[in-house]
Amino acid sequence: MSAVPSSGWLYGAIQRGRNRGLGGLYLVVAAFLVLYAVLFPGILSVSGFSKFTQNWFPLALVTMAQALLMLNGGITLAIGPLVSLGAVIAATTMGGALGVPGGILAVALAGLAIGAVTGAIVAHLRLPAIIVTLAGSFIITGVALILLPRPGGFIPDWLSTTLAGHTPVAFLLLVAILLAWKAFLATPLGIGIYAAGDNPIGAFRSGVPVERVKIVAFALSGLLAALAGLFVAAQTGSGDPVIGTPFTLNSIAAAVLGGVGFLGGKGTMRGAICGSLLLSVMINVMFFLGFPPVAQYVAQGLIIVGAVAVPELLKQWRARR
Amino acid sequence: MKTLENSPTVSRRSRLLAGVAAAAAILALSAGSASAAANCIKGDRKAPYTVGWANIYSVPTWMKQTEGTIAAEVEELKTAGLVKDLMITDAQGNAQTQIQHIQSMIDADVDAIVVIAGSSNALDRVISDACDKGIAVVNFDSLVNTDKVTAKINTDSSEWGAGAAKWLADQLGGKGKIIVMNGPAGISVSDDRRKGAQPVLDANPGLEIITETNTEYNSAPAQEAMTSLLFANPEIDGVLSLGGAISAGSVMAFDRQGREQVPITGENARQFLELWKEKGLKGWATMQPNWLGALAVYTAVQALEGKDVPAFVKVPLPVIDDSTIDTYLARADQFPADGYIYSDYDKALFDKLLAQ
Repeated sequence: MSAVPSSGWLYGAIQRGRNRGLGGLYLVVAAFLVLYAVLFPGILSVSGFSKFTQNWFPLALVTMAQALLMLNGGITLAIGPLVSLGAVIAATTMGGALGVPGGILAVALAGLAIGAVTGAIVAHLRLPAIIVTLAGSFIITGVALILLPRPGGFIPDWLSTTLAGHTPVAFLLLVAILLAWKAFLATPLGIGIYAAGDNPIGAFRSGVPVERVKIVAFALSGLLAALAGLFVAAQTGSGDPVIGTPFTLNSIAAAVLGGVGFLGGKGTMRGAICGSLLLSVMINVMFFLGFPPVAQYVAQGLIIVGAVAVPELLKQWRARR
Repeated sequence: MKTLENSPTVSRRSRLLAGVAAAAAILALSAGSASAAANCIKGDRKAPYTVGWANIYSVPTWMKQTEGTIAAEVEELKTAGLVKDLMITDAQGNAQTQIQHIQSMIDADVDAIVVIAGSSNALDRVISDACDKGIAVVNFDSLVNTDKVTAKINTDSSEWGAGAAKWLADQLGGKGKIIVMNGPAGISVSDDRRKGAQPVLDANPGLEIITETNTEYNSAPAQEAMTSLLFANPEIDGVLSLGGAISAGSVMAFDRQGREQVPITGENARQFLELWKEKGLKGWATMQPNWLGALAVYTAVQALEGKDVPAFVKVPLPVIDDSTIDTYLARADQFPADGYIYSDYDKALFDKLLAQ
């Protein structure tokens, strides 16, 4: 009982410190969720909640994939193509001899392998991640178009219904993935991601295998993006070789919105997830407010600027006091 | 006296008659709705209706013009008391966002959804959900795979490609070096047009395809692509351009390079039609009429009103050639400079198309 409170106190203090910068974002997201529930009370039903979280789920996954790398001081422009490739692999393998388990395995392996190779190039050849992943995005898009030149393929109906039916399976999966991330952060490799992003030389001198950490980060990021593609394929019941394209920019937007910095080591996964939730709920709220499309473009920009500015203003206000 | 005496019988008889008539009417109605009701329609929705227009991307001029025909149709139906509201969404090119928008339209319980699909497969599940809720779903232009829609409306992309290839083959006497300019890769429309052209190209082995390109349906990227192709290929006899303003970009590239214009196919982009006249091109064009949007709204409302509508409305491709181009250019000033001059339409045409 004597040792536990002190370490618990330390843990609490660290978590409070990390949440402090995010208070404003939490407020903005909560406000939008409440507004959405007022405009559309059906969101509070199981089916309504399930449908909403399903539309958010792939963005949440790719945001994690992006934030993972940004925390490590990297970035990837290959998110969208990886989502497409994941969807294409799922849609082309699940109807074959391998079946659904084989399809899931193929998607996961492809994501891990592509991520690991990208990571190895970035880490060992010391090339900038932005260039390597930009080149990678062209290659991956090409491969997806070769595998499936036009939308099609096959996803078993039961898989679509399980993942994207009227039950909150997607949300539960997201919770599970976040718990897994939490557990991963408790491992030396997990801490290494932050450490190597914040101060690579310091991390190296403290015994963090900086290069291996980078490769692992890229591999996990690839895995998450490919799995997002698998989900998109299940949600839509088919594969589409270009469906992922908008995810690249949206994943960066969500991560930055969530307070993840471009320079590595700064930010939290929970912030990034909140950022993606804001981007997603914003679309529904603007619909129910009846904004015409042109106004939606403007409103979208204002909301994003506001969501970044509010935490900053709160910080200044707190500092002045 | 007499009337007083008779009145009870009369009223009884008339009541009986009325009852029979009512029963017959109900029978007729239920029989009618059972046989005639269109797909997805349950008959529980009453005018005036709320219409949702789920657009994939509102920025291109073609889309703006299409939205214009939809809005005009809605105004007309509003004065007829059939429509009360039009909800417009713009998925900004993101099929995933479009799914979210259609889900929101289902949540908001709109009566009809008209939609251009951002992906031929991605919307299948959300659209069948809408259909299950009794929402009239009319899909036009870029079609979805699922048949759980009230109606699909489109021209035939394969015929588009075949018609263009056939005209070019005839122009060149079946032999010569041609360049094929496609729309974006991975898009069903551009893929279907190209596929439609293939049998004609196979039948004319004298036509040699030097190279093919994929660009957006805009003139600027097409001009850029054609400019580099012109450097690489000193001899080009014809251009098989399969849509949008690609042909205009190609013609301008020839012009800038000082190369002699060659026979070229294309679409009803105002820019292309004007260049065609100005440069005296040998040209051929067809179109994806913007009023498909207006027709989609009209079809949805007809279906909600209990009318039978065909599950697939095939709209014949209007062809523009040297004999008809002047009728199009005469109306050019009613259309945006970078827009598409579509053929005329009215309610009579819509009724005719729906009576197929």
